[in-house]
Amino acid sequence: MEGIFGFVEALAPIQALRFSRWGYAAVNTGHVLAIALLVGGSVPLALRLFGFWPAVPRAAVARILSVTAGAGLVLALLTGSLLFATRATEYAANPAFQFKIALVALGAVSTVLAVNRYGRDMEGASDAAARRAAVISLACWVGALVSGRLIAFVQG
Amino acid sequence: MRRLAATALIAAFLAVQGMGPVLAHHGWSWTTGGNIQLTGLIKTVKLGNPHGVLTVDAEGEIWTVEVGQPWRNARAGLKPGDLAEGVEVRIIGEPSSNIEDRLVKAEEIFISGKRYDLYPGRD
Repeated sequence: MEGIFGFVEALAPIQALRFSRWGYAAVNTGHVLAIALLVGGSVPLALRLFGFWPAVPRAAVARILSVTAGAGLVLALLTGSLLFATRATEYAANPAFQFKIALVALGAVSTVLAVNRYGRDMEGASDAAARRAAVISLACWVGALVSGRLIAFVQG
Repeated sequence: MRRLAATALIAAFLAVQGMGPVLAHHGWSWTTGGNIQLTGLIKTVKLGNPHGVLTVDAEGEIWTVEVGQPWRNARAGLKPGDLAEGVEVRIIGEPSSNIEDRLVKAEEIFISGKRYDLYPGRD
């Protein structure tokens, strides 16, 4: 693993990003925007699945917010991979980073499973199943945001 | 289910809390507010975003020295190769409020008598 991380860090475009001022700032900003979309979409969706705003149809909320959150996740993975690559060895050893990646993986896998089982807009989910999905989603995405922010405050 | 939600959030919070010593890199909130001076030989150099890190051997004590991100180092007048293994540096900067960390955030760097000011206007 160490070898792979070192190899990735040494790639010319990654080195360029690591020493660039505005390129790095742009990728960093893209990552913040991605997190805003992901958490900003998934939190209200989870609250609706949990039972808030019962007058608003669940499928209508899910249709809009799942696309918002999904776009955020894709952008977060792209920008996050670039940020990771600039300091791969260091981040891989950082406990906050490891915890964050575990939460992102758990969040992504549980979303795929829920969509397979209950449909894209969770139309087939019982109230109990929807609540369960909501709790997992909140814990994973808010937890990933918190542990992601803590990467800069924790030593590997 | 409400209880499950609360338990999950508390568990996530505790897991994050338990992740080890909190050692901030950004900003100045983790430093003492006062400056120390450190002289020694550079052992390792890792420059680049989000900020550069040196290890410096100061009479047998190994210190971690945070320097700037590339644009800040360049603005101070540092050229590629100035911060290199074996170079003697004098660092003025704020140490971590836990002195045991042996971690200092550089404000000024001196190499062969030349001063490089990373944070002009900051004491």
